[in-house]
Formats: sequence, C-alpha cells, structure tokens
Amino acid sequence: MSSADEELAKDLGPLAALTIGVGTMIGAGIFVLPGTAIENAGWFAVLSFVLGGFIALFTALSASELGTAMPKSGGAYYYINQALGPLFGTIAGWSNWLGLAFASAFYMVGFGQYVQAILGVSNTFVIGPIELSTIKLIGLFGAAFFILVNYIGAKETGRLQNVIVILLVAILAVFTFIGAFRADPANLPPGKGLSPLLTTTGIIFVSYLGFVQITSVGEEIKNPGKNLPRAVIGSVLLVTTIYALVLITMAAAVEEGFIAEQQLAGKIAIVEVGRLLLGPVGVVALLLGGLLATASSANASILASSRINFAMGRDEIVSKKLNDVHERFGTPYRSIAITGGLILLFIVAGSVELLATLGSVLHLIIYGLLNLALIVLRETDVIDYTPSYRAPLYPATPIIGALLSFALIAFIAPTVIWLSALLVGGAVIWYFGYARRRTPFQGALSKHIFEQRDSMPGSVVSAANSVQPDGGDYRVMVPLANPEHADDLISLASAIAKSQSGTVDAVHIITIPDQTSLEYARNHFDEEREQSKELLAEAERTAGYFGVPIETSTIFSHRSFEEIFDAARTHDVDLVVMGWGPDSHGSPGRIESAMDDLATQLPCDFIALRDRGFDPSHILVPTAGGASSELSAEIAKGLQVVFDSEITLLHVTEDHAEGTAFLEEWAENHDLDGVNLRVETSGIDTAISTAAKECSMVIIGATGRGLVSRLLQGSSVLDIVEEVDCSVILAERPHKRSILERLFGTRK
Amino acid sequence: MTSNTTNDQIELLGNVLVPVANKQDAEKTANALAPYHPSHVTVLFVVEKGEGVPDKTPVEQSKTIAEESFGAVRSVFPEAEDHTVFSRDIVNAIFETAAEIDATAIVYRSRGGGRIMQFLSGDLSLKLVTQADRPVVALPRADQES
Repeated sequence: MSSADEELAKDLGPLAALTIGVGTMIGAGIFVLPGTAIENAGWFAVLSFVLGGFIALFTALSASELGTAMPKSGGAYYYINQALGPLFGTIAGWSNWLGLAFASAFYMVGFGQYVQAILGVSNTFVIGPIELSTIKLIGLFGAAFFILVNYIGAKETGRLQNVIVILLVAILAVFTFIGAFRADPANLPPGKGLSPLLTTTGIIFVSYLGFVQITSVGEEIKNPGKNLPRAVIGSVLLVTTIYALVLITMAAAVEEGFIAEQQLAGKIAIVEVGRLLLGPVGVVALLLGGLLATASSANASILASSRINFAMGRDEIVSKKLNDVHERFGTPYRSIAITGGLILLFIVAGSVELLATLGSVLHLIIYGLLNLALIVLRETDVIDYTPSYRAPLYPATPIIGALLSFALIAFIAPTVIWLSALLVGGAVIWYFGYARRRTPFQGALSKHIFEQRDSMPGSVVSAANSVQPDGGDYRVMVPLANPEHADDLISLASAIAKSQSGTVDAVHIITIPDQTSLEYARNHFDEEREQSKELLAEAERTAGYFGVPIETSTIFSHRSFEEIFDAARTHDVDLVVMGWGPDSHGSPGRIESAMDDLATQLPCDFIALRDRGFDPSHILVPTAGGASSELSAEIAKGLQVVFDSEITLLHVTEDHAEGTAFLEEWAENHDLDGVNLRVETSGIDTAISTAAKECSMVIIGATGRGLVSRLLQGSSVLDIVEEVDCSVILAERPHKRSILERLFGTRK
Repeated sequence: MTSNTTNDQIELLGNVLVPVANKQDAEKTANALAPYHPSHVTVLFVVEKGEGVPDKTPVEQSKTIAEESFGAVRSVFPEAEDHTVFSRDIVNAIFETAAEIDATAIVYRSRGGGRIMQFLSGDLSLKLVTQADRPVVALPRADQES
C-alpha cells in the first residue's frame, strides 16, 4: 500500500472529527439528567457538569498525544494494550466494550423517555416474567432499529450525524440564550455541599463519554497530527461550555422548586423548562433535540464498539472470528450483533441511573489507565513513539488525569462499584483463561521491567512475569523420523525452549504409502506405533533432562513434509527444529511433488540441523545481517544461556575496521555479550570453513528465501555445509512478519 | 496495454476489469471467469469510504480483505493486476477505474439475493448494468445460494 493510498483512506476533515466527539457526548446525559442533578446538588449541579468536563479534559490531552503517536483502530484499548500489556489491555478492552453497551442502553432508555413524552402514553407491559414500562419498550425498539442500521451498514445515517450535531448545538444555544433573559440569581436553588456535588458528577459523567471515540477512527482523519488533538480537546471544551450554560439556564431561569415538581410528576425537566421559556415551540425543539441526541449517541457508540472488537480480535484478546465481515453488507456483523444483544439485555435489566453510572465507571477505569499508558510510553523509550502532539505540563497532566478519573469512581454508588469490580474481575479471568495463551503481545511496561531486571526489585520482576502473555507459549516443534538423530534434535530443541521458557512439541510423522488409507494405518500399523512410542518416550526423557515441558504426538500421513508445515500451523508453533541429511526424512525423491507451494512461505521460524554430533561448546555465527541471521543470533543466545557456550561472530568484508564496527553493533542489537568478533577478508566459504575448524557448531542464517525448503528436498544448496566437519544449523525466518511484530519485537 | 484490437475488432475479454467484494466473492468470480480465458485481468477492490463519517470497517481491515481477495484471484490468474480504490460510491469507482485502464469489459458476478437484500446492500448490479459506458459481463452463478 503506497503512501498515496494511505492519504486517500483519510477522509474525515476537522469538522467531521469534531462532530463524532460532540455527537456522541451530547446525548441522553444532558437531555435526561439535569433534573436529577439539580434535585441532588442544587445549583452546584452546574459545578458538577463543569467538574466532569475538567476531568475529561485531562484525559483528552493525554488521549490526543496517544492518538497522534498511534493513529490505530481501537483507540484507548490499543494504547493501554501497547503500554501496560495485555492484562490491562484485556481489562480496558472489555471495559470499553461493555461501557459502550451500557451507555448505549442508557441513551436508548432516554430515547424511550422522549418518545413517550411525545406520544403521551404510559403503560406497563408484562411479557412472561418480565415487566416492561413503555419507556423501556420503546427503548428496545429504538435500539433494535439502530443495531439493524449498523448491521446492514446504511451509510446515510452517518451523514445525518453532522446535521444532527449542528442542529443540537443550535437548539441548546437558543435555549440558553432565551433563558439568559429570564435568569435571576434569586431563583438558584441553594447548593447542597461538596459531597452531593461529587456524587452528582459521578452520575452525569456519562455525558462526557465520546471524546476518546475520535481516536478510535484516528487512521481515517486527515492530517491527524493537527486535527485529532483539535477535535478531541475541542469537543470536550465545547460540550462543557454548552452543558454549563444549559444548567445555569435551568437553575436560574425558573423558580426554585420548579425542577423538583417536574421530576416528581415524571416529566422531563429540560422540556418543561423549554415550555416555560419558549412555549410550544420550545417543547417541540427540545423533544426533537432529545430524540436526535440520544439516537446519534447510540448509533455512534455501536459503531465505536465494533472498532474496539476489531482491535481486540487483531491482538487475539477475543476471537478473530468476531470481526468477520458480512459477505453482502461489508459490516462486522457478528460484533454488531453481539453488542446489540448486550444493549437489549441491559435495557431490560437496568434502571436509568444504573446504566448511566455503569457506563461512567467503566469509562473512568479506561481513562485512568489511558493516562498511565501515556506515562509508561514516555518513560520507557519505546521505539517509534513520536507523537506529533505532546500533552502540556507533563507529567502533571496524566498524573492528575489518572488520579481524578480513579477518584471519581469512589463517589459513585457502591453497588455500581461492586458490579464494575465484578466485570473487571471477569476481564482478568478472561485474560488468564483465554487471552494469555493466545495474545502474542507484551506491553512496553513489562518489556521495560525485564530489560532493567537487575535494577528492579525482584518482586516487581516476578509480578510482571506472572502476568506475562505466554505469547501463545513459545512452542518448538520437532518432527522426528530417524531415531539416530532424534536425541540430538530433541536436545537442541529443549535447549532453545528452555531459554525461551517454552514447550517442546515432538511429533513423529509416519509416512505411509498412498495406497494405504490413514484409517487402516492407524489401526493396523502396530509395529510402527510401537516404534513411535519408544522414540517419543526417549524424547520425553531428553526433554526431562533439560527440565522443559514436552508434548508428543504421532501422525500418520501420506505426505511427510506438507504434514510438518500443516502441523506447525495447527499447533501454533514458533520454531520448527528439523534434521536434515542423507537419511533424515526418507528418500528425497518422494517429497518433491509436495514442495512446490511450500517453498514460498514458511509458517514459522525453521532451523535445520545437519547433525555431526551435538556439541554446542563453541558456536560460530557468520552474519551479514538480515531476518534469518536474527534467528541465528537468537538460537546462539539461547544455547549460550543453557550451555554457557563460547560464541564467535564472523563477518566477511573488505574493510577490517568497518567489519568490526558492524559486528559490534550487531552483537549489541541482538543482545549478545562476551562474544569473539572475527572479521575476514577472504572469500565467504573459505572464511567459514577456516573459522569452523576451531568451533564445534556453525549456525548459518539462510540468505535466500525457501532455502530450508530446498534443502529438505535434498538439493545441496550450500557447499560450505559439506566442507566443515562439525554440525551445521541452518536458520530461516519467514520473510513476512507483521509490522507490529517487527516494531515491538514480540515473543520475548 | 495488451492488444485489444484484432482487425479493428475489440476482443470482449481482451482487458477485463473484475470488481470483487471479498475473498469468497473473489474466488467464485475468478473460477467463473476462468473457462472464458480473458487475455488480461485487473482485479479491483473498492474500499467503501464514509467521506465525512467513519467507515463500516477499519481501514486496516479493509486493506486485509483487499489483499485476501487479490490473492484468491491470483490463484486462478497469476498474472492479474490489482487495484485498490477508496470511494464512497462503489459503482462510480468501478467506472472510473475501467476508464483509467481502458478496460474492454467489466466482468462481475452478481451475489444474487431477493429484492429486499438487493435494496439493502445498495443494488449495485442495477447501477452497474444501467450506467456503464462499456460492456458489462455478468458471470453465471454456478452455485445457487440464496
């Protein structure tokens, strides 16, 4: 994908980005909650809304920096996962997903209130064991409608969003403007003190969910370096101002006690104030505003949650299947359907305040973590962390942002806190039970801790270690065929697995003639099965000697090599250790037909051992750089850790000084300490064979693609391998690694 | 450009533009097209943009789907060229690309469906066949799925 294409993919201008934030935020919060807020806190309700905006602003500053540094789908979840690792990533992802579902349910109940106010009917319906008010019933229909709209991906609704937002701002502006003429400080209901002020802030904070959603579509924003911070920070400032003015109007333009009366009568306070200020026109305008606001918030939240699902699936925190795109509609229909189901369930189960506060608490958790993520990324020198916008007054901004976000949670009803704790606990269980085995990511924080292992307190390192992703557990697969070399192969694999705290997966592949069915072979090849058992038992003993966990299996197959590739894929293997030589895997002639398409793409790292005795006491690593030589370095490093091997690096070049500099840098980059550097100016083959005389093992990184594959077919690719007397390991790393893997050097 | 003309006659499948929507669609389209041996194939994937509103799917995902689709076509036509276009209007993007590469025909495979399904997914077939400025070939749908 060229950079010109990248530009074409960005089609959200500054106004569009701003309206995503404003449109999501101005919703049920301001159209439903002001009455409750004024009743609870008196005129301090104004301060509650201002305080909410203040808390949001700190997080908005942090989110802007993170958004310009990593304009990736997933927004807050993604930053937290990158910085704090997948445990917190899982918490953030689930909180964000469920938080949006709770908030959407809240918006839709608000929508129900407005429709009910228009229709004027109020009933309770009993459906089976469930009692539903008209409000909730309408909310359910509304939610179902917006879920459907997103399911089939009608883009027309999206375009309406801009119009809706402008209309909303206009309605509220007129409302406050007219209200200002009638405002009289004498009307203000007395403030009720600090504690109600803070609890009220907890309730109304749901009105500020949405600015972070802008970052989750960061990759679609034109000139994100400039427009993203403007949209994020601008939307928070704008809605805070609007909210404050609306609240002042509601508190000062009507007589004290009016709001409480309306609340008691079950009417929507803001609409009744509108009636008083503007007459029937005011009622119509505000009813319309309420409908549009709640609808657009819910619509935007449903879409945003599918982005979070996408990012979670990409990191394998949830199943990738969730992100499958509908064949006709081109929408992530599964994700939308599940989110939709949750929203409907929440509407039925929760009260307005419960939904609002649950949505708030879960988002506050994310906001707190997001601020911490910023601190971690700034402090740990992550490569490629170059935000074009930097949050001002660092480190004060993210510290205050995190403290305020977490502190506000304390002022929310205890039942809600307990429920949220339960959900977070569920996310932690999910991480250890599901995601830990799958996600290959390591956060910047734990990377930092491991790098500074020596200067960190032991408890910190072990704590970080105990929540490490298994990266899908580093698995080393050993396909066994010839019993003669099996022991050496298992030793090599065990040593590498040990250095990576991984597992050995020994597979005995029994090739059977095409004429024989696999079914028959499984039941009748008793002799082979017996051999296989012995071979694998021997492998278990060897691995046990290294103290490495081992899994064994026997596979009957018509194809030997294809089967290895298949097994490597299905077993989710990181490295395959194979033997190769004249008699390692049957006669080469039989393999060739199967190899064509395999040669092009290895499923994982491969190393092939030309076994002339397993002696890792002195390892020679010739290198000229490149992906496969990275793998040689990792293998050498692993053997050094386990066997305390001596390592000699060899580089062949004309210029001696240049060669030494290259090797020094290469050793440094690959974390190799205490190695001998050797620079030769003679031809490569001569250099290697001369140097190999002093060594017990040579590790060569494959330079051409498909080298290992070709080798396995029996073609002699490198003469050098036959010229030396010691064992040779050929290492090949598949060319295509994901950008992320390359960037963050995962798989510790 | 491949030679589209032989004795002043334009070969219908001399240089075809094949719009595809996803991997599965690409596979089926390529297989349906294979028996007719087109001389030159260009695969087109249109990433549907919101232009002012967020897309249905993240850009990253759209690009992956495009790559998968190209791969599926290449397994049948190894020489096929690929084209990714970002546009709000899919049919228009197809026409523009066809003009750009001077395609002799646009070849597509309708994904079928009843009227409601067609309507909900934008009824691209109708627009494609009624508004095109060059031949549009609808490939047979061998498998009769709904």
